[in-house]
Parts: sequence; structure tokens; C-alpha cells
Amino acid sequence: MKTVLRLVYTYFMGTAVTRGLTLSGVALCLLALLAVTYLPQTAHVLAFAFSSQLAFFLGSASMPLMFGRMAKGRGVGLLPHGRLKLLASAFLTVVIVALPAGLLAPVVYAAGNSFKLSDALKYPGAVDFLLGMAILIYTSLTLLAGWLYLAMWFLGSQRNASGLWRSLVIVVLLIFVPVREIQELSGKIEWNLVQLALTWMVFGAAFMAWPRIKAAMAQRGGWNRSTRKVVATRDTWGREVALILGTHNPWLLVGSLALPLLMATRVGLQTPEIWLFFLTIFSVVTGAFAGQAAARSRALWLRRGWSRAELFAEVERSFWRHNGIVSGLLLAFMVAIGSFTHLPGELLAGGLPLLVLGTALSTYLGFMITRGLRWIEIALASGVMLTLMAVSLLLSQELVKLGLVFAIEAVLLALVFVLRTVARRRWSRIDWIECRPPRTLVARQA
Amino acid sequence: MIESAVQATHLSKSFGAKQVIDDLSFQVAPGDVIGVLGKNGAGKTTLLELMLGFTPPSGGGVQIFGHPSVALPGDVKVRVGFVPQQDELLEQLSVADQLRVIASFYPQWDSGLIQRLCNEWGVDPRARIRNMSVGERQKLSILLAFGHKPDLLVLDEPVASLDPIARRQFLEQLVDASAGGDRAIIFSSHIVSDIERLANRIWILKGGRLDWQGDLDSLKESIVRLHVRGDAGAIASVAVPGALSLRREGNFATVMVRDWTPERQRELEARASLSIDVEALGLEEIFLELHR
Repeated sequence: MKTVLRLVYTYFMGTAVTRGLTLSGVALCLLALLAVTYLPQTAHVLAFAFSSQLAFFLGSASMPLMFGRMAKGRGVGLLPHGRLKLLASAFLTVVIVALPAGLLAPVVYAAGNSFKLSDALKYPGAVDFLLGMAILIYTSLTLLAGWLYLAMWFLGSQRNASGLWRSLVIVVLLIFVPVREIQELSGKIEWNLVQLALTWMVFGAAFMAWPRIKAAMAQRGGWNRSTRKVVATRDTWGREVALILGTHNPWLLVGSLALPLLMATRVGLQTPEIWLFFLTIFSVVTGAFAGQAAARSRALWLRRGWSRAELFAEVERSFWRHNGIVSGLLLAFMVAIGSFTHLPGELLAGGLPLLVLGTALSTYLGFMITRGLRWIEIALASGVMLTLMAVSLLLSQELVKLGLVFAIEAVLLALVFVLRTVARRRWSRIDWIECRPPRTLVARQA
Repeated sequence: MIESAVQATHLSKSFGAKQVIDDLSFQVAPGDVIGVLGKNGAGKTTLLELMLGFTPPSGGGVQIFGHPSVALPGDVKVRVGFVPQQDELLEQLSVADQLRVIASFYPQWDSGLIQRLCNEWGVDPRARIRNMSVGERQKLSILLAFGHKPDLLVLDEPVASLDPIARRQFLEQLVDASAGGDRAIIFSSHIVSDIERLANRIWILKGGRLDWQGDLDSLKESIVRLHVRGDAGAIASVAVPGALSLRREGNFATVMVRDWTPERQRELEARASLSIDVEALGLEEIFLELHR
């Protein structure tokens, strides 16, 4: 138990960033309790509750990667009950992370309906209702958190098109099923508990049996078959720089985006705001690959006669060639579907530049990561993402304020140039000791 | 005048408050085979990467073939080969594809040499990199640095994961590469016997400074073990300047000393009527004594 608790503590408090987020989450949760109890109820007050849950969840965001690394390592197999303890720590994290929402739900409900919690205690029916609601929200969020961690693990541990594809499919499914259930309170506690039990039983059994499954597959040559794909011969020939940077084949990314995009369109087209929301996420993902550019460019330093400034220019060109194709197809897709389904002109007029801006901003934010991910990049990325989301919501309102949308987009465009300047300056003195390719890639076959 | 392969002047590097490389000056000429020794964290990798411009210096500067390392032109870069401590191979490729990708950067790439080495070292060109062991990957990284026959070859712990046979093959190839006397080789390793076998100059890094730089023979003549005999009084009062360690036992004393010269021996024998036998040490013992 001590090991499990230590692991959970490390997930939440392991780094300065996660520690800050976790403690902020706890503080905001306490603030929210006070605010919803004693302040007049407005949407702004509820923001405390939402922020506390978000900060608390982000505080544990390193769990999937740490869990994945330990699970892949051989050391865990040598520790007494290592895999079981690791599994228990993941489960406990998921159970803990949904607590703020579960705790706050009855208080928020009582405050929102202008009665005191203490009054509700006089009526057994009211207590049952509030308790049921708290458990429903808590179990739904526990489910949601588990899936989100899985999506984050795919994205973090498999930094390739396949990982991206898997994580986007999970995100799309999550948005349309559990999130809607939480929003509409249409879920059932029993069903949630069944889902939770099934999910964790299947995951737990597969996780515990994985070393044996892997060994059996390797013995039958299963791994060899899966790696027998020709990736870089004739189709990439003459584009060695792009190959080293990972930008040689935009069609891999296009292929990865296709299924989640079609799913999002099939399910979400009736609600254009959610559809645009998704397209915005996809546009950002396209650019996010640039976050690996600095580390990957290290291999080019001694092999091309470029100065650091010239290297940045080449990397920028290479990424734009790659992202341009993906972004262009995304725009074409939006226009085609938008015209076919007669989406409002305002949505398309404001939405198309938004997608381009999403790609451009995330590309240059990625280029800025020359010394690992630090507070400034995280804050900027969060700010940009929230702004893009806000604009997509503005565009889906009944009376669209196009002037406001274009004004925000103009500010975002200016930000693109600012980020580019910062990125270029950072690259002019890039230090490759501070940005190496992840070591796990190297040690994977050890 | 012979062109220096590397010339560093008051080179320093710090990360925040931590000084990793502290005011180093050195010169590397064609024909030099330099072995870099140092404890973990002594700054070996940082020094090698500073030399090649991967990281800008905090002070001083380093030039490769007369050009600042942070702004190397293309015609200088094609004269440099580097084997990083952590390989930078493309996981999704086969060995042949990886070799072709890197070969495309160098007009002077010697495919014949690489083909021969692949055969000798047992590197299968059809193998997928993601399926290769760490040792196999290391062999491939070394091949990638050899293919364009660089004038300056820098290797950061190249043999750490190689088996004894592969290590021997690698060392033989390095001897071949250095045979012409027109190529400079700098390599770091914890395997002192390899350095002793191959290097003609030694750098010993300690706390970010070059505790020793010079040729191997001078190092072995400079740091020695003295077996001192004399009467108990003389032994009790014996003091050797530059002593790294001193152990007394009755009429005997054993002293590890640096900067030793025959003149100092004569002087000490005359001054304290002592009899001194000098024992030459292996590189490993010298390294251990310097870090005691």
C-alpha cells in the first residue's frame, strides 16, 4: 500500500508544474465551496468549481506517461507485485482525480437553486437526490478521466500518427457520449458502475497478462509481421531532411485524422458549434508536431552547412510543406461539408481563418520549445487553445458578432508573428544539450 | 603550417549556476588520437558537444579547422564525423535506408568501405532499426560517422555497449583510420584499456577542468608510485611535494606522486638519504589515483 500511495503522490506532486496544479486544484476547490455557499450565484462563480477540477486533473497529467514508462520497463517485473501495484496506483489516481466534482456537485446544486444544504437534510428525499447526483457525476467523471488518461498516454508515449489517431478517436467518443451524459445528467449510476467495473477488469487483466501475451506473440513472430512495412524508400527519396524531421509524409497524418474527423462529422454535424470545436482541435494537432522539431534538428546540425538561423528557415519550410497539405485538406473538408449541409455563411467565414490560425499558432508554439516544455509554453498553449475554443463558440451563436470574431482573429494573427519571432530568436542560439530526442526511443529495444 | 583540427581558448560552459566546463584551452592536430577520461558528470559529453557546436560556450571559444564551432560552414562540416553517446537513428528505417539517407548528405561517401564494414561487423543491411539491440545500433552509429572519411572524428563513449569482439573490430578500424596521420580522433570512454591501447594523447577531465593533457608516455612518466626505504626517522619525516597519497610502514613508505622527474628523485635521495624505487603505473591506476 505504501508503494501505491507513493506512486500516486508522485503522479500528483512529482514535478514543480504538477505540484503547482494539484495544489491550485485543491485551493480552488475550497474557494469554490466558499464561493457557491456564500456568494450570489452567477456563471462566474461556477468557474471556480470548473477550474478546480481542471487544475486537479492537469496536476495528475504526468500519470499516463509515468505509468506507461514504468509498465514498459523491465524493472517493474522484478519488483514484488510490481505490475499489480502500478495498476492499483493508476486506479487510485482515477478515483481521486474525480473527487472535487463529486464533492462540489451537491453544494453547487443547492446554491444554484437558492436553498441551504442544511435545509435539505430535513427532507430525506432531497438528501437521496443530492447524494445520487453527486455519485452520478463522480462515477461519470471517473470513467471520463480513465479514458482521457488513455488518450493522453497514446499521445504522449507514441509520438506518431498511430498514437494521434487512437487518442483522437477516444476524445471524439468521449465528447459525444460521457460528456453529454454529464451535461444532461442523463446517465445512470448503475450503468456507470457496470462500465467502470468492466473497463477496469478488462484493462487490469490485459495489463497483468501483457508480458506473457507479448512473449507469446514474439515467439510466433507477431512483432516482425507488424514491423514489416516499408516506410522510407522510394516515396521519400530525395527528401532526407524531411525524413529526419519527420515531415516527409503528410498523408500519414491525414490518414490518422480521417476517421476521427468523419466520426466527429457524423455525430456532431447537427450541432455545428461542436463540429467547429473539433475542427479547431484537429487544426491545432496538425501544428503540434512542430514541438519535436528542435530535438530532431540536432541530427542535421553536422550534416548540412546551415547556420542556426538557416536551419530554422529550412525547418520552418519543411513543416509548412507538411502542415500546409494537412491544413489545406482540413479547410477543403470544412468548405465541402459546410456547403453540402448549408452551414451558416458566418460560421464558414469566421471558421476557415480560425483553422489556419490554429495550425499556425501551434506550429510556432512547437518551434518555441527549444529547452523542453516550460511554464511559459504551457501557459501560452493553454491561452491560445482557450481563445480558439471561445471563438468557435462565438461563431456558433445565433447572432454572430462577426466583427468581434475578426478582431480576435486579427489579434491571433499578430500573435503568430510574435511567436515566430520568438521561435526564430530561440533557434539562433539553440542548445542541443537541452533538447535531445527522448531517450526511451533509443532504449526501447534494449 | 599545419592546420589545427580543433583549437579551444578559455572554453567555459555553465548551466545556470553549475560550471560544467571551466576555462579549458587546448589544441588538436591532425594525427592526434586523444582519449578523454573522466568520472561520470566530469563534463566529457559537454566538452565534445561544445567542440562541435551543439551547444554555445558560456565563455571563450572553440574553432574547428579555423572556424568557430557554433557557425561551421558546410565545407567544414563534411570533414567532421560524430558518434553521439545516445544514437540518433530513425527507428522506422532499415539499416540500408538509414545508410542511404546519411550518405546523401556527403558527396565523398565511401559505399565500398561501409559495405565491407557491414560484412565484417555483422551488420545486416536488411534489419529494421527498431528491432536492433543497443549494441547493433551503436555499430550502425559508428558506421554512419566513418562513411564520409572525416578528417576529425569525435566519438562519445562509442564502445559502451559493444561486445569484446565488436570492440576489438572497432578499435582496429580506428587504428586503420588514424594510420595515415592526417586525421584527428577524439574519443571518450570508461574502458581505460582501450584508451591506453589506442590514444597517443590523454585528456583527464576533473570537475570541468583538464587535470591532465599530454601524451600518454609523459603521463606515465609523470605519475608514478615510489617505494621509499630508509631509517625509521627519515621515513617518518619524509615529505614529497606533489604527493597524491603517502603510506608509511616502519622503514618503508609508498608514495603516489605527480609531476615526477629524475631530477626530483636525485634531489630527494640526496636530501634525506633515502633509497627510492620508481614503479610505472598503468593508465587505470593513474586515473584512480588522480580521483582518490
